[in-house]
Amino acid sequence: MPKVTIDDRTIEVERGTNLVDAATEAGVQIPHYCYHPRLSVVGQCRMCLVQIDGMPKLQAGCSTQVMKDGMVVRTDSPEVREAQKGMMEFFLINHPLDCPICDQAGECGLQDYAFKHGQAFSRFQYEDKRTYPGRERIPLGPNVVLNMNRCIQCTRCVRFTREVSQTGELGFFNRGARTEIGTFPGKPLDGPLASNVVDICPVGALTSTRFRFAERVWYLDKRPSLCTGCDVGCNVTLEHRRGQIRRYKPRANPEVNDFWMCDYGRSSFERYYELPRLAAPRVRRDDRVVPASWSHALEAVHQALAGGGRTAILGSGNLTTEEAWLLARLAEAAGPAAGTQAGETPAVELPLAVEQGPRWTIPNPSGGITGSGDTTPNRRGAELAGFSTAAAEGLLTGTATGYDVLFVADSDFGSPAHDEAAVERLRGTARFLVVMGWAETPLARAADVVLPVATHAEREGTFVNVEHRLQRFETAFPPPAQVRPATDALTDLLAFWDEGWRGARVADVFARMAAAVPALAGIEFEELPAQGVALATGGAVGAGAGPSGGSATVHTAEPPAGA
Amino acid sequence: MSERESRRPTPVVGSPVGGVGTSDGYGEPWPAQSPGVPVLDEASRRRVEELVGRYPDKRAALIPVLHIAQRRCGGWLPDYAIAEVAAALELTPADVYGVVTFYDLFHQKPVGRHRIRVCTNLSCQLRGSDEVMAVLRQELGVDEGDVTPDGRCSYVHFECLGSCDTAPMMMIDDTYHENLTPERVREIVKGLT
Amino acid sequence: MAFEPVLTRNVGQPEARTVAGYKKRGGYAGLAQALKMQPDEVTDAVKASGLRGRGGAGFPTGMKWSFIPKDPDKPKYLVCNADESEPGTFKDRLLMEHDPHQLIEGCAICCYAVGAATCYIYIRGEYTAALATMEQAIRDAYDNGILGRSVMGSGFSLDLFMHAGAGAYICGEETGMLESLEGKRGQPRVKPPFPAIIGAFGAPTVINNVETLANVPHILERGADWFKSIGTDERNTGPKLYAISGHVERPGTYEYPIGVPFRTLLDGCGGVWRGRSLKAYIPGGASAAILPGEQFLDLPMDFDSVAKAGSMLGSAAVMVMDETTCLVRAVARLSKFFNHESCGQCTPCREGTNWMELLLTRIEKGQGREQDAALLSNICTHIAGNSLCALGDAAVGPVKSLVETFLEEIDEHVRLGHCPLPPQPVFEGASH
Repeated sequence: MPKVTIDDRTIEVERGTNLVDAATEAGVQIPHYCYHPRLSVVGQCRMCLVQIDGMPKLQAGCSTQVMKDGMVVRTDSPEVREAQKGMMEFFLINHPLDCPICDQAGECGLQDYAFKHGQAFSRFQYEDKRTYPGRERIPLGPNVVLNMNRCIQCTRCVRFTREVSQTGELGFFNRGARTEIGTFPGKPLDGPLASNVVDICPVGALTSTRFRFAERVWYLDKRPSLCTGCDVGCNVTLEHRRGQIRRYKPRANPEVNDFWMCDYGRSSFERYYELPRLAAPRVRRDDRVVPASWSHALEAVHQALAGGGRTAILGSGNLTTEEAWLLARLAEAAGPAAGTQAGETPAVELPLAVEQGPRWTIPNPSGGITGSGDTTPNRRGAELAGFSTAAAEGLLTGTATGYDVLFVADSDFGSPAHDEAAVERLRGTARFLVVMGWAETPLARAADVVLPVATHAEREGTFVNVEHRLQRFETAFPPPAQVRPATDALTDLLAFWDEGWRGARVADVFARMAAAVPALAGIEFEELPAQGVALATGGAVGAGAGPSGGSATVHTAEPPAGA
Repeated sequence: MSERESRRPTPVVGSPVGGVGTSDGYGEPWPAQSPGVPVLDEASRRRVEELVGRYPDKRAALIPVLHIAQRRCGGWLPDYAIAEVAAALELTPADVYGVVTFYDLFHQKPVGRHRIRVCTNLSCQLRGSDEVMAVLRQELGVDEGDVTPDGRCSYVHFECLGSCDTAPMMMIDDTYHENLTPERVREIVKGLT
Repeated sequence: MAFEPVLTRNVGQPEARTVAGYKKRGGYAGLAQALKMQPDEVTDAVKASGLRGRGGAGFPTGMKWSFIPKDPDKPKYLVCNADESEPGTFKDRLLMEHDPHQLIEGCAICCYAVGAATCYIYIRGEYTAALATMEQAIRDAYDNGILGRSVMGSGFSLDLFMHAGAGAYICGEETGMLESLEGKRGQPRVKPPFPAIIGAFGAPTVINNVETLANVPHILERGADWFKSIGTDERNTGPKLYAISGHVERPGTYEYPIGVPFRTLLDGCGGVWRGRSLKAYIPGGASAAILPGEQFLDLPMDFDSVAKAGSMLGSAAVMVMDETTCLVRAVARLSKFFNHESCGQCTPCREGTNWMELLLTRIEKGQGREQDAALLSNICTHIAGNSLCALGDAAVGPVKSLVETFLEEIDEHVRLGHCPLPPQPVFEGASH
């Protein structure tokens, strides 16, 4: 690999690496707007100009590749600084200087670089700024709004629709100083990937219809999470203000969603605010269901399960792998044939309800990843724990009845939970109904015991996506006072049988699960790489077949300018 | 050293075959612009096919095809014409629109039956193109870029048309009119039908 | 020694527009000669002649051809740049309208030398008459076995097509032209890769100007030594077309040996018009620095001498301005042109050319400030060398010379609060 020296730091990079990426590897930031690692290199913004020994002129870092040993680059010479100052001035002469009322403020590439490379005064005093009357608030499609006055003509959005989503709705129109972006009449930007152009827009020209002016971005706390819209498992940054989720933004993972995610997934968190919330445990007393303490509610569930009757635990694809595995342990503990070995089919049934919806495709470097149509993120994790969709058919169609206990692990597992007739049918299958979940649904209202648990943002754990990649996500914020993460509730419940479960953290649960499930052998929760681990499918994982994603390097080339 | 000059003789005006992009196959300009009627008739479709065959990539025929479409639409390119050309060459309309708006010879709004382009770049400016523009304003009674009420003419200033030796000059449709004087401009404009 | 016109020998001879007539006048001898040689020998002959590109940059033509990979499997292209749009330039139009076969012959020789089987002549869309003449000549050439399956019976196959642009100066930039040829917006590409490696349709491509290719048949026919005997020195060889416009008595295209003094050009076209005196001239089109007339009267008009004088020969478009010309107004007009023609993709050119036009227009109106000249000069610094293609540098050319050489004109506008040389009517009182 050729060596390159950037600001006196010499590193080896892969042949053909461009200077912006090489500098990032060397720990040097080269400012840029038009360059994006997944879009064609156009060298337009001229912000990444650098000095290269032996070259008479400054060169664009994005379009200069390291091909052989010995390239010496300066990103901080007086000439480079002067050029950067000049470019910043060119960007700003025709850009509105109204950051306080701009929605991009706080995450704007122009603000950031103006602060770092610009100057505090304007020499553009006697001329009028270029404006685009009537083009300040143009809906390009249902989810994206254009303010042409703020555009810096970097064409990232145009290239995205041409090269990544391959829908080509956006074009670069007119010429010279009047150049603008837009759509053709009657062909709006309405593809499933449309909102990604908002993320890659380095300035406030493209904003999200849902998010714009809803929140100041500096008030947002950002946590790494996973999208729950389908089983692609897009990596997201969950942005919330005091426990109110404001938006999902894609988090780069070249193995899954790369830099992108779909618009459906972006809005998937809105479900947490559309349904009423289960606020406290409830227990049936005579004909009424009344609020109860957690210990009281868990005791009631324990008693029902310990009765040794016929039991089914209905899982859902919304469960984390850890939650599903704990439920399977519960089945084991409650099962009449005590002493069933881990990994064997427990005596208690573990049906799994998964609904089908649209199949989303997210482009990535290996060509893309397509969901199976699941509307939930973790069917494969639940299956790994022992749940089975085949077992759910009888239960959901009402042909299987006569259960003593039915434990529904997700009050929002699918449409039957919201349908009065289906709820009645489900209720009729069992003598005793336990419903766990975050959402108040007709199903929850029919239960004998209700266990209110955390939403996706309030818990941690792992999902296994459509390509059998195990990915971990973090707790974004704690659940409300009376609500507990499902893993906590389940370990406490399991402690009725085995005191060793008490106080187990999710990492402990994962460790016990990894020891028992062959596909997870050797994987550690805390050490799970940022892009996840590809699990061997089918048979057991052999000794040599370690997690394939684990050795890959973490992708850090996230562009600073709004990407 | 006694160099012999070879000065350019009479300019070639109104040459035997005219027409941008080709010398045949455009068909007559098509003044009736109604959506629903294909912009490219059968003759022009055959011409498009021939043009496409000249290049290893279909899209390379785009600019010549847009010239044909513009002729068929009376000198400008309505959105439906752009959409039709895009479909014919398997491109997105936004892409084609980007091309249309890039080039000065393509128009996105109606123009006069006769399109007058006056070169006003430096060589023509030095020899009186401002006065030519003023005469046109006076003769046609409309502003630059507007169409006369009878739909006869529209005029615009234009960048260098490569006829600086015969400045000032203007291009009307496909024909260069050179060595202009105010009188000559008046005469020419009056002759336009 | 009298100089016999070479490139313009067929101007005004309508018979030269047919294959038969062109042949009768000695045409297609160069192509016949080339086809008897090995392709490399043809390139070597052009190299030996010292021919430099006549489009503006003056790059050695033979060397350009030799950059084309020899790999016989790849398709290769010649794209002839007939997008003559530099203000002040009109020589290529003359060549195409009057001597189309000279260009066809030059194209054919080039294609043979580099192994290209297809040639596109990218002509600006405004040149309708030249286009029609060329298309007729091409048909005639196909009918007479000059083009097609076997060029002049040699077995070498060549297709040649005209391709009309649609009005954009930037399509004269070679990669902008390739984009336009491919049916896109004419936005120049990032270089490298250079067109010789990845050009039209991703294939190796030679791009030569019309006048450059028009020279080629004569080099083949009469030899590199003959060609080198014309001109200033071994770096500036051959005949050259000078397009003279502006305030002269007889503007036009004039052919001279390259390196003729400006004074000879001026005398040849009857001197400054209306008995006025010379103020300044632009030696090489709108992108070139303006030179003060008297000081550079005897400047040899070749690539190196004009560069030494701080300007450039470019396309040899000579624009002459008399004593009544306001140079601020002239440069403001050129800035308006560059602002209009900037493709808009790169920041310094898109924003800088726009700013320069606004500033110059304001100064010309008498609303300039004292600091404006320094500001203009600083904007030039920020554009020059930093833009994606050469248009940024081109836009800087005239502005920089205004600020550096004719600063007193800006100062006078600022001091007076109005233009000291308001435009005079051209036609009023003038005899025609």
